[in-house]
Amino acid sequence: MPPVPSKSLPLAALLAAIPLAPALAHTGSGVAIGLQSGLLHPITGADHLVAMVAVGLWGAQLGAPAIWVLPITFPLVMAVGGLIGLAGVPLPFVEPVVALSGLALGLLIALHVRPPLWAAAVLVGVFAIFHGYAHGRELPGAADPTAYAVGFVVATGLLHLTGILIGVLVAWPAGARLVRVCGAAIGCVGLYFLLASVGVLS
Amino acid sequence: MRTKARLLAGATVAAVLALPTAAHAHLVDTRLGDFYGGALHPLTELQQILPWIALAALAAFQGARRARWVIAAFPLALLAGGLAALAVPAPPYESLVGIGLVAATGLALAAAARVPLPVLVGLAAVMGLLHGFQNGQGLPASTDRLLFLAGATAIGYVVMTLATGAALAFLRGVGGWRPIALRASGSWVAAVGIMVLGLQFFAPTAS
Repeated sequence: MPPVPSKSLPLAALLAAIPLAPALAHTGSGVAIGLQSGLLHPITGADHLVAMVAVGLWGAQLGAPAIWVLPITFPLVMAVGGLIGLAGVPLPFVEPVVALSGLALGLLIALHVRPPLWAAAVLVGVFAIFHGYAHGRELPGAADPTAYAVGFVVATGLLHLTGILIGVLVAWPAGARLVRVCGAAIGCVGLYFLLASVGVLS
Repeated sequence: MRTKARLLAGATVAAVLALPTAAHAHLVDTRLGDFYGGALHPLTELQQILPWIALAALAAFQGARRARWVIAAFPLALLAGGLAALAVPAPPYESLVGIGLVAATGLALAAAARVPLPVLVGLAAVMGLLHGFQNGQGLPASTDRLLFLAGATAIGYVVMTLATGAALAFLRGVGGWRPIALRASGSWVAAVGIMVLGLQFFAPTAS
């Protein structure tokens, strides 16, 4: 038997260590898929995304107590909207109102409008109904409805938190101006989706 | 040179011994597998683990003295519920009550409600009994039920103790945002509970 070259031994050991069977570590159970689709639903829809960030941003711009009242109120009212969607109650103009929420909240931030707290909560609550309705309609078809609900509620909350963190900039004059610019940008995105939803843009 | 060859041969033998094989992480062939099965069962069920954490945070809002009662009552109720499942049939509306508890606990946390001690312990007991019952239901004959329920009870105690302790420590930190963050998480739990509850009423075939 010819001698085996010494350098080939570690190489042979390394190659032998490579598993030939798939690991199948992520089996993609109903919970995992439901959670993933729920997490991605508000993030992959830009109209939802900008509106959620705007809620946090506007709360931060308005200061306490709006900074926490709006993000705590929103998921609860959104759940009511989800129930309406689940019940199959027809709600007109869902997509236009979701787009309008981005436009309206963006404008309110850009123009630094400071309504009374109740008025801000009611406005955000109305928009939350429509966002919840859109999410709720997809709930029964989810791989795991509970996981889907957890995913989109957590994603919504984290988007609010993102808005609040950006809104911390209002503590500085330049930051306050930047927040208003962010509001204007959100309003532009909302306007685009509003025009698209009513068929003006394809 | 000879030493190097020995080292290479030793390394080769070690590498062969470390060849990847099945991990057998679920220990189905051992008696302890049922203990771990019981411990993991509630952790993979969002309808159980979510209200557990919400209950722990709610207990933390009531202060350490009151929270200790929950840590004692909850695992005992979990065990009692599991044992009851071996003897009696499922109560009516068990699923609805379970999801209702998710919504109620989340709402109480979102409101940072000051709950009387009997109500708090009663909530922990009802939740423990119900979830213990759900854990003990439908176990296959091959499962060691005592080990399974012991695992579920142990994880209930561990999760409740750690989550309550973490929430208490979190609330004691500096910054007024801390209770707000916990209340926001309560509103998330409540929102999930309300929607899944609605699913039971309006689209039961889809669940």
